[in-house]
Amino acid sequence: MTSLQAETVPGAGIDQRALATMVLRSRIETFYYDEAALLDAHNYEEWVRLFSDDTHYFMPIRRTRLRRELHKEFTQPGEMAFFDDDKAILVGRWKKVADGTSWAEDPPSRTRHLITNVRVVADRGDELDVESNFHVYRTRLKSEEDSWFGCRHDVLRRCGDTFLIARRHILLDQTIVLSRNLSTLF
Amino acid sequence: MATNVDADHVDALVSLERGEIDRRIFSDEEIFEQELKQIFGRAWLFLCHETQIPKAGDFFETPMGRDNVLTVRQKDGSIRAFLNTCTHRGNALCRAEEGNTKAFMCTYHGWSFNLGGDLIGIPDSDLFYKGDIDRSKYGLRRVPQMANYHGFVFATMDAAAPPIEDFLGTAGRMFVDLVAARGVQVVPGIQKFVIDCNWKLTVDNVFDWYHGQITHMSAFGIGFLPTSEESVTDGGGAQDTLGRKIELRGSIPDGRDEMAVIAEYGHAHSGPTARAVAAHPLSGVQKWRERPEVIEAIGPVGMQLGGHSNIFPTCWLTKSQLSLRVPISPTRTEIWWFTFVDNDATPESRAATISQAIHVFGPAGFLEQEDGENWAQATKQTHGARSAQVPHLLKMDLGRGTVVHEHGVSRIESTTNEHAQLWTFHAWAQWMKGLSWDALHAATAPPDVI
Ligand code: FES
Ligand SMILES: [Fe+2]
Repeated sequence: MTSLQAETVPGAGIDQRALATMVLRSRIETFYYDEAALLDAHNYEEWVRLFSDDTHYFMPIRRTRLRRELHKEFTQPGEMAFFDDDKAILVGRWKKVADGTSWAEDPPSRTRHLITNVRVVADRGDELDVESNFHVYRTRLKSEEDSWFGCRHDVLRRCGDTFLIARRHILLDQTIVLSRNLSTLF
Repeated sequence: MATNVDADHVDALVSLERGEIDRRIFSDEEIFEQELKQIFGRAWLFLCHETQIPKAGDFFETPMGRDNVLTVRQKDGSIRAFLNTCTHRGNALCRAEEGNTKAFMCTYHGWSFNLGGDLIGIPDSDLFYKGDIDRSKYGLRRVPQMANYHGFVFATMDAAAPPIEDFLGTAGRMFVDLVAARGVQVVPGIQKFVIDCNWKLTVDNVFDWYHGQITHMSAFGIGFLPTSEESVTDGGGAQDTLGRKIELRGSIPDGRDEMAVIAEYGHAHSGPTARAVAAHPLSGVQKWRERPEVIEAIGPVGMQLGGHSNIFPTCWLTKSQLSLRVPISPTRTEIWWFTFVDNDATPESRAATISQAIHVFGPAGFLEQEDGENWAQATKQTHGARSAQVPHLLKMDLGRGTVVHEHGVSRIESTTNEHAQLWTFHAWAQWMKGLSWDALHAATAPPDVI
């Protein structure tokens, strides 16, 4: 034990910047795993608390376009979208399910949120740009099955030793959404 | 489970007198094939709005039945619609769903077509074809008829179909003009998603002002939709799973002041009157109804309409949206939402219209999340041989609807009712018989009582 510890004393031949990057990513991953657990447990009340009051939760519409027009693949804020929510609307989504009369989620769907490929693409000190991939799997009632892949472009705001989601843009890997609804959150 | 769809059989599937529909029509494969032929192969179908393709070379793809159609803005500003299939060996000419192009080059052998559909290029035409090919014969196939009605582009696969103005008739033109006369443009981004249900159940719901208080109870519960203390609704004995009486929050409008319109070829409208809608706190000031050009276009009946219209078969118009219900299979339907803003909208009202469109309808909409599950489950139950024999009921206000024929339009003033749904199914049965256009027009002439 003692000798092992001696060998891994911080700074003993370890690149401090690489270590800081790893620690940061690990903290962000932990934050995302905890978030996913809240969603899969249908704990939306706790989940919406992870968002800042000025958050923007946005899922644009994606279009199959020619390669040279790929910059127009996604709709932009101010155009049509699937989700374009501020904090109040996100709170509304939690309350809708909690109301007990949200029939599309009663009986509740079973979901599993898998979050991978977490990358910090910018660190501005108070805020970080973080990209991650997701696979959200949903089964519902007897035989309904949905599988959504995509990525999330988040702005995470440092808040004590955790984060607030100050912006989330969700890019779904589908143009025609291949499910009957998006009563699941990402 | 195949149903023999001859004329007698079709009449047995829809009863206008009893308000009953045979539920086998919601999953039967032969019926679906007949629908593609008799309805989607003949009716004028919506392709896009002209503001989606403003510049020369802009294109947008829309299905007509199982045919994929490209609507293309021409250099002279006109619009043409082509089958998206190469005239050489059939490859899809264009694989993007929208965009802008100078020409369409098929990626199989390179046959190239200009915006007008003319065949302008054949690789190695001299060396291999030795001049034998007559380019003028192999231009892109245009849809038999296409028309731009006040900015709304429609097409039909039937060369013998009546002109769009006649197909729409006074009522259908009024339904389109309720949106068009204001001067509108499409907001970029067409929402598309798939529901595992039969397309007719989605059309039935266009006119359903009965389901909101239950299906969308959660939207009322959280205050997303306004409720009224005064208009407390009678639960009528409805109970929840704990045996508690359902307390219905009074919805606005309250269903006491409604108007339905039924029309030739199956077009219909139903819902609260404009007066009832104006009482809705979210309706906003409907200043546009005071404009002379709007009054002129929609006429005295149009001035009173505040509900939902359907251009038969599947083009649903709300105040600021158009929803296509695209039949994919007997049990799969794509929903396409087009959203309109007024050309002269302030930035605030534009943003409000877009926000409402995103948060009410669409797959993540506070309302439409629930709708899809109802239609999917209703479709699924028709796979049971015995369950399918339980009729689909449209009996509300049945036999009590006095039809007023005035200003070229047939209307019914009543409380919430199911006349427009029943009318849609009646027209569906007439279309399925493969009648001549004249006979179809006569068979779908509105009665005096429904
Ligand atoms: S199939 Fe289009 S060029 Fe041959
Ligand atoms: Fe609904």
